[in-house]
Amino acid sequence: MLDGLITGFSVAATPINLLFAFLGALIGTAVGVLPGLGPAATIALLLPVAYSIASPVTAIIMMAGIFYGSMYGGSTTSILLNLPGEAASVVTCYDGYKMARKGRAGVALGIAAIGSFIAGTIGVIGLTLFAPPIAEFALKFGPPERCALALVGLLMAVTLSGSSILKGLIMLATGLLLAAVGLDPISGKTRFSFGIIELQSGFDFITLAMGIFGLGEIFYNLETVAKTEIVTTKLGQIWPKTADWLRTRMAIARGSLIGFFIGVIPGGGAVISSLVSYAVEKKISKTPEEFGQGAIEGVAGPESANNAASSSSFIPLLTLGIPGNAAIAMIFAALLIKGVTPGPFLMTERPDVFWGVIASMYIGNVMLLILNLPLIGLWVQLLRVPYGILAPVVILFTVIGTYTISNQAFDVYTLIGFGLFGYLLRKLKFEPGPLLLAFVLGPMIESTMRQSLLMSGGSFAIFVSRPISLTLLSLFFILVMGQIFFSWYRKKNRL
Amino acid sequence: MKKLFTPIVALFLGAGLLLAGPAAAAEYPVKPITVIVPFAAGGSTDLLARAVEKIWPKYAKQPLTIVNRPGGGGVVGTAAVVQSKPDGYTLYLGYGSGHDVVMPHLQKLPYDTFRDLVPVVHLSTHSIAIVTGAAAPFKTLSEMIAWSKREGKPLTAAVSTRAGTVDITMRGLAKAAGITINTVPFAGGAEATVALAGGHLTIGGGHPSEVMPHIKAGRFRPLAMALPKRDPSMPTVPTLIEEGIRMSNWGSIKGVAAPAGTPKEAITYLEATFKRVCEDAEFKKLMDDLFQPIWYMNSAEFAKYLAEAYADYGQLIKDLNITLN
Repeated sequence: MLDGLITGFSVAATPINLLFAFLGALIGTAVGVLPGLGPAATIALLLPVAYSIASPVTAIIMMAGIFYGSMYGGSTTSILLNLPGEAASVVTCYDGYKMARKGRAGVALGIAAIGSFIAGTIGVIGLTLFAPPIAEFALKFGPPERCALALVGLLMAVTLSGSSILKGLIMLATGLLLAAVGLDPISGKTRFSFGIIELQSGFDFITLAMGIFGLGEIFYNLETVAKTEIVTTKLGQIWPKTADWLRTRMAIARGSLIGFFIGVIPGGGAVISSLVSYAVEKKISKTPEEFGQGAIEGVAGPESANNAASSSSFIPLLTLGIPGNAAIAMIFAALLIKGVTPGPFLMTERPDVFWGVIASMYIGNVMLLILNLPLIGLWVQLLRVPYGILAPVVILFTVIGTYTISNQAFDVYTLIGFGLFGYLLRKLKFEPGPLLLAFVLGPMIESTMRQSLLMSGGSFAIFVSRPISLTLLSLFFILVMGQIFFSWYRKKNRL
Repeated sequence: MKKLFTPIVALFLGAGLLLAGPAAAAEYPVKPITVIVPFAAGGSTDLLARAVEKIWPKYAKQPLTIVNRPGGGGVVGTAAVVQSKPDGYTLYLGYGSGHDVVMPHLQKLPYDTFRDLVPVVHLSTHSIAIVTGAAAPFKTLSEMIAWSKREGKPLTAAVSTRAGTVDITMRGLAKAAGITINTVPFAGGAEATVALAGGHLTIGGGHPSEVMPHIKAGRFRPLAMALPKRDPSMPTVPTLIEEGIRMSNWGSIKGVAAPAGTPKEAITYLEATFKRVCEDAEFKKLMDDLFQPIWYMNSAEFAKYLAEAYADYGQLIKDLNITLN
C-alpha cells in the first residue's frame, strides 16, 4: 500500500497532473458557489475536453477535483444567502445563515472550509487504508437496510423543525407529497402529473431548494429590507477565534467519521450523513437551544460530514466499479470511454490510475484550502453590496441555474411558484428544511420498502430478520420512544 | 389556440427563410448537433452515445453535443426530442429501448413513438444476460430451474424497471420454465446490478456492458442470453433456446431517431456519417471494450426491424398478461 501511495504521488505530482488537479479544484469551487450548476452537469459539459486529454489519469484527476471541489464551494451560498446548492448543504443553511445575519459570516465560511479540508483529508486517508473492506460493507446495504437508514434520516430531519414539532411534521408531510409527483418508482405509472409532460419526471430538487429557500428568503426580505441592510453592513471578524476552535474540533472529527461511513452507501449517503451529524451535534451539545440560532457546531459538523462523504463515495467506484451518484457516474463513463474499467481489478491492472487519483485527492484538498481561505474575505464583502442590487443578481443566477438543469422554461415557472410558497412559509413561521429533506428521503423510503416487500413476497419480517436493518430500526424506535418519554417527563415535572 | 398559432409561425418561418436565404444555402450541418440520451450518465445507452461522440469529429465538420435527459423511464427525454424543431440539429439516441417498443403496449404516452419520430440508423442491440451471484447454489440455468422446483421457493430477480425488457425476459423465463420469479424493479440497470452484487437477490439481468465487469471479477455467473442467437460480446454463454427454454426476445434496440419532418438531406447525411463511424477501427475497439456489438442498419432497414420488434413485444406482453398494476 505504501508502494502504491508512492506510485500515486509520482503520478499525481507531475506538472501536468498538478495543473489539472488545480483546474478541477478551481472549476469545482466555482460550480459549488454558483447556484443551480451542479458537479454532474459540469463534468458532463467537460467530457469532450476529457476525451482529448491523452492520459486517463489526468482526465480523472480533473473530474474528481470538480466533484470534491464543489463540496467546498457548496456551503458558501448556504451561509451567505440561505441558498443550498444541493441536498447535502441544506443543513448548513440553518446555523450558517444565522451566523451571517449576526455578522459572523467570515467565521462560518472559515470553519466550513477548514472542516471541509480536515474531513476531506480524513476521508482520503480512510480511502487509502480501508477501501476494499469498506466497499464490501457498503454492498451489505440492500433495499431493507437502505429503507431503515432513510427512516433514521427522516427522523433526524425533524430536529431541524425548530420550536414546533407539529409544524415540522406538517413540512415533512408536504415534502413527501411533493416527492410523489412523477413516475411511480416501482410500477412506472404516472402520478399527479395532471397530463403535464414536464411533471412526468417529478419536481427537481435544485428548483425546489432554490425556490423555497433562496427566492422565498429574498421575497420575505423585500418586506423587511431596512432591517437586512443594517445586518449585512456589519461584517464582523473573519477568522475563527480560539473559542470557536475549541467548540468545533470534536464536531469536525465526529462529522468526518459519520460522513466517511455513511457516504459509502450508494444513493443519498451524503445527505443522510449531514443530517446525522447535525442531529448528533445538537443532541450532545450543552446548549442545544443555540442550534438554529447560529451555533458554529451546526456548520462545522455537517460540512465536515458531506466532504468526508464525497471522498468515501469514490470507494464503490474504484473498488467495485459501482457509481453511487450522478457526478460519480459521469466519472465512471469517462473512465470507460478512456479504456479504463473501474472495479476490483483497477488496483492491480492500472495502479497508476487507482493510486494516482487517490494521491491527487490529498493534493487537491490542500489546493482547495489555499484557494478558499483568501476567498472568504471576498465573499464576505459580497454582503456589503446593497440588498437592492444583490437580490436581483441572485434571482438572475437562480433563474439561469434552474434553466440549465434541463433547458426548459417550465422549471423557471416552478421555481417562481416555489419561491412564493417559501415566502408564505416564512410568513407563517414554518421551517422549510424538513420539507426539502423529506423530498429527498421520501422516494428512497418508498422504493426501498416496496423492493424489500417484493423480495420477501409481502412479509414485513424482512426488516427485522436482517441484522443491519434490525439495528437501524431499533435505533429509530429508541429515539422516538426516548423523545416521547422525555417530553412526558418534562411536562409532568412542570405540573 | 394551436390552430391559430400554426399559420402565424409558418408566416414567420417563411419570412425567416427568405431573409436567411444565403445562409441556408450553406450545407447541413452548420452548427453542433444535439443528441438527447433519455437515460442517466454511465448507463449502457449513455456509453454508446459517448463512444459515438468521441469518434464523430473524425468524419463530420460539426461535433455532437450529448445531453442526458433521464426520467419517466426514457419518456421525458424522448418527448423533448419530439417537441424540438425538426431541422436535423436534435437527435434521439436510444430509439428502440423499452419505452419505445414495450411501454406503448401498456400505457398511453404523450407522443406517438412511430409517427412522431423517424428512424435514422440502428447502431447496436444490447442483449439481455441472465446472471446469478457467485454464491448461488446453482451454476447453470437447468440447475437453477431444478433448484427452484426442489426447494419450492420463488426466485427473486433484480430488474432495471417494471415492464422493461429485462423484466419481460424474467417473466417469460418463469412461465416457460414453470417456476416462480418475483421481479424487483430498481431505478435503472446500475442500481439493480448493485443490489445483485450485494447478494440481496438470487438472480438478475442486464446488458453485457453492465454485467461483464462483474462476471470478470467473479462476482456474477452468466446463465443464459435472451436473444435468439449468441451475443458476440459473450460468445461462451448459451441462449435460452439452447438451454431448452422456448423463449427469446429482441433485447434493447439502440438506434438513432430524429423528429418527424426532419429534411431528407439531413437524414441522408447522418446515415452516411454514422456508417463511417460504425466502420471506424477505433470505434470498433471502443465498442469491444464496452461489450457492445456494432450492428449498422440504415433508416429503411431499421424502420422495418423496429416495427417487427414492436409487434412481437406486443404479443409477448399479451401472452404473459403483463399490466402496470
